[in-house]
Amino acid sequence: MAFKKSDIPGEDIRLAMEMTAKRRQLIDETPATPLVYEYGVNRLAKALHPGFVKAVIAGKAPAGSDCVKIALEPAGGGGFPYFRAGQFVTLSCKAGDSFLSRPYSIISSPKDALEGKLEIMVQRKGIFSTFIIEEAPLGTVLWMGEPSGDFHHDSIRDRGHVVAIAGGSGVTPFLSMMKAIRDGSEDFKLTLIYGARTRAHIPFDPEEFKGDGVDTVVVLSEEEAEGYRHGFITADLLEECIDEDTSVFMCGPDAMYRFVRGELEKIGFDQTLIRSERNSVGDRAVDELKVFKLIVHIRDAVYELDAPNNETLITALERAGIPAVVRCRNGSCGFCHSRVVNGEYFIAAENDFRRSADKKFGYIHPCSTYAESDLEIDIPIMDLEG
Amino acid sequence: MDKYDVIVIGSGNGGLGAACKILNAGKSCLVCEKHNIPGGFATSFVRGRFEFEASLHEFNGIGTDEEPGSTRKVFEELGIADKIEWIQLKDAYHLISEKEGYDYVMPFGAEAFAKESAKLHPDGEKYIKDFLALCKQIREAMGYLSETKGRPDPKVMMEKYPDYLACGSYSVKEGFEALGYPKEIVDNLNAYWCYLGADENNMTFLHYANMINSYITGGAAIPTHRSHEISLACEERIHELGGDIWFNTEVVKILTDADGHVSGVRLKDGREIESRHVIADCSPHVVYGKLMDSEAVPERAVKLTNFRKLAGKGFTVFLGLSKSAEELGITDHNYFIYDSSDNVKQYESMKSLNNTGAQATVCLNNAYPECSPEGTCIVYMTTLFTDDVWSSVSKEDYFKTKNKMAARMIERFEKATGTTIHDCIEEIAIATPETYARYCGHPQGTIYGYESQYYDGLMNRIQMVEEDRFVPGLRIGGGYGERLLGYPSSFKSGVNEAGRTLRDMEKEGR
Ligand SMILES: Cc1cc2nc3c(=O)[nH]c(=O)nc-3n(C[C@H](O)[C@H](O)[C@H](O)COP(=O)(O)OP(=O)(O)OC[C@H]3O[C@@H](n4cnc5c(N)ncnc54)[C@H](O)[C@@H]3O)c2cc1C
Repeated sequence: MAFKKSDIPGEDIRLAMEMTAKRRQLIDETPATPLVYEYGVNRLAKALHPGFVKAVIAGKAPAGSDCVKIALEPAGGGGFPYFRAGQFVTLSCKAGDSFLSRPYSIISSPKDALEGKLEIMVQRKGIFSTFIIEEAPLGTVLWMGEPSGDFHHDSIRDRGHVVAIAGGSGVTPFLSMMKAIRDGSEDFKLTLIYGARTRAHIPFDPEEFKGDGVDTVVVLSEEEAEGYRHGFITADLLEECIDEDTSVFMCGPDAMYRFVRGELEKIGFDQTLIRSERNSVGDRAVDELKVFKLIVHIRDAVYELDAPNNETLITALERAGIPAVVRCRNGSCGFCHSRVVNGEYFIAAENDFRRSADKKFGYIHPCSTYAESDLEIDIPIMDLEG
Repeated sequence: MDKYDVIVIGSGNGGLGAACKILNAGKSCLVCEKHNIPGGFATSFVRGRFEFEASLHEFNGIGTDEEPGSTRKVFEELGIADKIEWIQLKDAYHLISEKEGYDYVMPFGAEAFAKESAKLHPDGEKYIKDFLALCKQIREAMGYLSETKGRPDPKVMMEKYPDYLACGSYSVKEGFEALGYPKEIVDNLNAYWCYLGADENNMTFLHYANMINSYITGGAAIPTHRSHEISLACEERIHELGGDIWFNTEVVKILTDADGHVSGVRLKDGREIESRHVIADCSPHVVYGKLMDSEAVPERAVKLTNFRKLAGKGFTVFLGLSKSAEELGITDHNYFIYDSSDNVKQYESMKSLNNTGAQATVCLNNAYPECSPEGTCIVYMTTLFTDDVWSSVSKEDYFKTKNKMAARMIERFEKATGTTIHDCIEEIAIATPETYARYCGHPQGTIYGYESQYYDGLMNRIQMVEEDRFVPGLRIGGGYGERLLGYPSSFKSGVNEAGRTLRDMEKEGR
């Protein structure tokens, strides 16, 4: 085979033999300027995803009869990370003997976050909301996880018009989206259909969100009032709001999702264009309440605690005051990904978002898992240092 | 226990391979991983009804049960081979190159590939056979070199491996010029260039020829449960062998003693763990630039690191489609879609944010139909940015910039394949250089380690591996290591560095 680049005999081999020497020489000639390991890309990644940051409760204001708006500021001043309207943050803190974490959708616009302003809306129910509404004074410092979640508009996946359906504090992601549309950080149209019992239950001002690409329709089930619809979110109302370029987003109780899906089916709406925010996995009904022993490894530390079979493992960990990583609390984000060393467990199919290899090798998301026997698990440490 | 024989920083392929090797030798080992799961790029994620593979298009070097490839043999030695279920890929690639009007599928297997090449050129079959014969000589020469530990008998080299000796200084371009093949054949053989991400003037012929040879003759596979299966298989093995692996655990400092020897690591929360040996599965830029005090870093380590070129920065669009591949007319598993076969120009065009969206794209269902629910399919498309242009994107523009690029890639795929997919996107995720920087911590969001450069190619790195280390007790494996990027290479680099670490320990008499 005539395989050569040089016609000089032996030249090719000579060049090959020199390869390492030449490399050595080039390294010698390279200046020893201090190394750069962090570029603009790395800084932006860190700014968008700083891990946990400290946030201070800076204000509280009632919003309708069931909710309270909580204003947060960064503990060290400056801004919060930019995010996508519709995303949530998880707040964590010690409350009594427990260490609690809960996800809350942001109601501010992403632009507000850059200025250090972030509001969430807390519905009065459960132990964390009682703590944050009733007990935690202004100035209380909380750990805040970075904004997360994929319940946001995507210009490629979603249609240009979103019909947003909400009940209770489920309006929160849509408040953020509407503000973002207004200030130009998001570019789509949104029609909010909000279901409430009476006007007194509405946690926002519907008049504030009309015009400039957003519209709001409130449906009251227990009151008739001018300017408000009466009844439920039914097929005919949906048909009125939906055009050819519509995606439907839903955020609220599961019962609402079932009802509205049924109504959407009546008008033949494409199911793949419906997105609903998932709710936290709560207690489950059991035939017989049993309390199992739960052994927990975090790095080289070992804890032993009780795990009732009707509560998720994360609840057991929180009650025991163990800072345990958790983010979405609905089984989907995988932040609490943990290894089962030993024992039986249960995960409801609708809350099982584990990877297929996780199922094969016995990994769980404790936020959606219940003990079925004594259990030994290995969970990642909560890296609070940001 | 606060003391380990070896600490591994990072649980990418290289880190996992290194830890398995150390533990198999009966030494104690701790792996510190800053993320909450193992694998680095070798992972997957779930969105709605879909589980997306984060990186792997094809795993080369696995072979079959009957004829195991070199990487499977390594897996066997480490005790992880039985934990992974493989799916063999049928075809090598579907090449679409618009300028030349190429649009064809190449099969795996030396015979089949050669036969198919006859369709490209009347003498295609002969050219490919010749080329593979040359590759065989190269591979055997490399085998002989490693057998003789880099001290070969010159006479044997001259007699048995003359072509290997001749082409040792060739770039890919020079190699193909020397062979004198027609353009159609060279263009086809160049299809794999994006897997190394360097253009034909920079990649060394030996390295590239060796890679395509192992793809064409050895084929490629994917694990059934995405690459996360490989990572969890390794994690399971680490536990079986009594090793520890800590997640959400970033190493912020590699500690050295008065003699400049590694003495341990410091974690982000301030905790220090003692060890005389550290194997890092991250970039030397990070190791020497961030994880070590500058006084502890020899000048030549800084020079070498500055000398090297950070390779392509990744951009991937992951799509969960609400129609089946069949319905959509997506026929193949692996697509290479280029503007033209001129990879020097293609490389240039990837330097800007206006990247034309040339891509390596996978439709997973065409290798593994059950990977998503019936009536759906998974498509993911990857391109590279060959310059650090994403550093200039602001927070406010970031989401829009990424969607713009993603839309361009989707359109590009549709145009090249004649399919329509944009109207049935049920789930989408987009990974940018920022995303890769966030998950693995690599500078600029580089996914391919240090680029294969003319003087920093495979052979030079292998030959100079001992010269390229500077701190006693510290070795660097993975995609930035001696064998460059890729699943098999990064894994083997980790294993090899672990082997050297074991020898260092032996010498120390421990
Ligand atoms: C989109 C894409 C497609 C690809 N396709 C293919 C393909 O088809 N075939 C193929 O062979 N290869 C492919 N590759 C390349 C392959 O994935 C990589 O080369 C390989 O996975 C790199 O492994 P690594 O060992 O270098 O580790 P990495 O995956 O880079 O992981 C490094 C790990 O170290 C951790 N770490 C870093 N710093 C620290 C610290 N200070 N403390 C603790 N932990 C730390 C990181 O969190 C990370 O987990 C692809 C890559 C990408 C991104």
